[in-house]
Amino acid sequence: MREATRSADEAGMFAAGVRLGLDHLKLGMWLFLASEVMFFGGLISAFMHFKVNNPSPESSLLDVVLVGLNTFVLLTSSLTVVLGLAAIQRGDRRGLIGYLTATILLGTAFLVGQGNEFATLYRHGITLSSSLFGSSFFTLTGFHGLHVLVGICWALSTLVKALRAGYSQGSYLGVEVFGLYWHFVDIVWIILFTLIYLI
Amino acid sequence: MSMSTEAVTPGRGWRRYFTWNTDHKVIGVQYLVTTFCFFLIGGLLAMLVRAELAQPGPDFLNGTEFNRFLTNHGSVMLFLWIIPVLAGFGNYLVPLMIGARDMAFPNMNALSFWLIPPAGLIMLASFFVGAAEAGWTAYAPLSIQTPVGQTLWAVSVIILGTSSLLGAVNFVTTVFTMRAEGMTFWRLPLFVWGMLATSLLVLLATPVLTAGLVLIAMDRMAGTLFFSASNGGDPILWQNMFWFYSHPAVYIMVLPAMGIVSEVYPVFSRKPIFGYKAIAMSSMAISILGLTVWAHHMFTSGMDPRLRIPYMISSMIIAVPTGIKIFSWLATIWDGKIRFTTPMLFALGFISMFLIGGITGIFLAAIPIDVHVHDTYFVVAHLHFVLFGGSVSAVYAGLYYWFPKITGRMYDERLGKVHFVANFVGTNLTYLPMFLAGLLGMPRRVSDYSPEFTTLNLLATLGAFLLGTSALPFIYNAVVSWVSGPKAAANPWRALTLEWQTDSPPPAENFHQPPVVNSGPYDYGQPMGVSGQAQAVPAVGD
Amino acid sequence: MQMETQSPSKPRAGIRTYLLVFLGLAVITGVEIGLATVGLSRSLRVPIFIVLSLVKASLVAAFYMHLRSDARFFTAIFITPVVLILAVAVLFVIA
Repeated sequence: MREATRSADEAGMFAAGVRLGLDHLKLGMWLFLASEVMFFGGLISAFMHFKVNNPSPESSLLDVVLVGLNTFVLLTSSLTVVLGLAAIQRGDRRGLIGYLTATILLGTAFLVGQGNEFATLYRHGITLSSSLFGSSFFTLTGFHGLHVLVGICWALSTLVKALRAGYSQGSYLGVEVFGLYWHFVDIVWIILFTLIYLI
Repeated sequence: MSMSTEAVTPGRGWRRYFTWNTDHKVIGVQYLVTTFCFFLIGGLLAMLVRAELAQPGPDFLNGTEFNRFLTNHGSVMLFLWIIPVLAGFGNYLVPLMIGARDMAFPNMNALSFWLIPPAGLIMLASFFVGAAEAGWTAYAPLSIQTPVGQTLWAVSVIILGTSSLLGAVNFVTTVFTMRAEGMTFWRLPLFVWGMLATSLLVLLATPVLTAGLVLIAMDRMAGTLFFSASNGGDPILWQNMFWFYSHPAVYIMVLPAMGIVSEVYPVFSRKPIFGYKAIAMSSMAISILGLTVWAHHMFTSGMDPRLRIPYMISSMIIAVPTGIKIFSWLATIWDGKIRFTTPMLFALGFISMFLIGGITGIFLAAIPIDVHVHDTYFVVAHLHFVLFGGSVSAVYAGLYYWFPKITGRMYDERLGKVHFVANFVGTNLTYLPMFLAGLLGMPRRVSDYSPEFTTLNLLATLGAFLLGTSALPFIYNAVVSWVSGPKAAANPWRALTLEWQTDSPPPAENFHQPPVVNSGPYDYGQPMGVSGQAQAVPAVGD
Repeated sequence: MQMETQSPSKPRAGIRTYLLVFLGLAVITGVEIGLATVGLSRSLRVPIFIVLSLVKASLVAAFYMHLRSDARFFTAIFITPVVLILAVAVLFVIA
């Protein structure tokens, strides 16, 4: 994602936004996240429609403890993201690099954990097409996993730019915008974990 | 960061319209021309359908072929024409109208456009592998069982939804962060308010359709069971997910159009718009209410009966802000010094025909009536009066109105009037008989019908062919005028909004100097603001 | 120069706050896992877990995504679809 450099020219173009306290890149990202709320909400509504009206005994095969630990991993990755942002806001480039690396590792660990959960269910014969439970479980968690994967790629490209000294104490908007996406994906998982595993 | 301008773009003249260009004016023209081509394709499909329906009994299409032409007529017209053409107007006009140099995200803007041609090709390519045939509404389980073209249809609509969504992000960000100095929200032209209201719906509703289409695609390709009733799935879930988007979609298809006519009426009545704030707020009200009414498309689906009356009430309430707008427009032109130019004629046609469509919509909101006319030609007539009589009239009004600004040349006014008359007569001739046919019981989406409907169908087919022919003077006018029409002034209509206070066509950076706004968009007697370009201020009382 | 957001609702959180929020998130998650393994009745389980998840989501949104300290408009942009989809989800479930 390109970094917004602040030439006087550009500052003039977005003066109306500055007066309102709205950075245009952050505004764009929040608007996009609003649409993602509706997208995941649509999938979640479908999932809950089936879960409540067609409950399945297969849900007892879900491993709450293991996936709960995985939830903890993703929450930790949100912490590393925000600590990375705090680091570059004080000009600590190496801190940013360290925290971004930690985020990537934690995000990958989360996906590995999810893969493990998927494999366990698969061994019990639950697939996308085996049952309505399988269809809705794998679709909902699968799309979340895809979003995590996209986030990891974005984190990697942010890391590469950080390694090239692309961010500084005066210029870190790209890190913040990436963070918004990552935290959102974390929030979606918080909701999914509750609706799929807990209730 | 540098702004892409025409000077940086490869190629000159017409060639740049075939490239990745981030200038919103180029992208706007790309949208307008591309979507118009899809309009013609959708129209061709319609005329094939009407040719088959001119007489009862099979003529030259069997049932499956008929369903495919019908499905793609609707899908092309909605997803590849009316929604994106209005986004195209938004693209061209919003930055100019707010005094900005371009949109907030120029590269994403180009992406929004360039998603459209491949999506269109995918949808049309489906004809080679068994086109989608389940109607534009793609109800399950039929849409799960049809040949592979249906999957292409779903993929195409997902891509087009993404294009629309990215556009909405761009519009909202642009309006909030790039207005010129002095351009407060209450000085925004009403077209911009229309685009804001539309963008709200696009952001909130489109993703739910995307989610539903994903489920359809997965049922078709991955063997999932979402809509397979025998396995616990629920076809009604698709109807809910589909209509949650597709009802707001009809407001996406009309709010920018209402914005266009809101621009046209004051200029050609030489009067300020009546009820500026009422119109602006009504647009937002229609938008918000539009998210709450979708199940009125499902009254006969077996939906929970306790919910039917609430949906009926909310559907009828939308008539209130709509009525406020219509009365405001009428009050605008009342006692005005009216110039019956082609854009004004189409805008006046809009009011009359949208009114017919809108009022019949209220009939449909009443459950007892809907139960009787659901899935009949009454609905077909209603939707075409709002979409064709309404939105398309407004699109034509906009194309003529901003033609000199976009091309720098003036169209031929006489040909424009010929187009208007043929279009107005054709629209009424095509769709008025359909109200009667529906009330008398003719179902929609049928390739054959009982002989007592023959006369009505013949009239509709004649009207359809008149409509098809009526596009010809427009195409001729547009092409010839663009190439060799008389050069247009910066402000041939003596309008006040900012796009008219710069050259025709505008320079790459839109304004030679950033405008400073110090009055409203329809305050006759003084232009909105002064750009670097010297403009004679119209004399008071002009 | 970085354009700092003007008119923030509150000054930005510091590292201590981030760590405290994380502690809260971790504790709540631990409580959730504990309660899940204990096995409560449905009428207790559903409201408790939903409330806990909303608390966690709000913590992440308010502090990690800086909604608390940024322009209020961002909060409106985020809350609007949440409220809307909540209504839709309830409708899809009961009807």
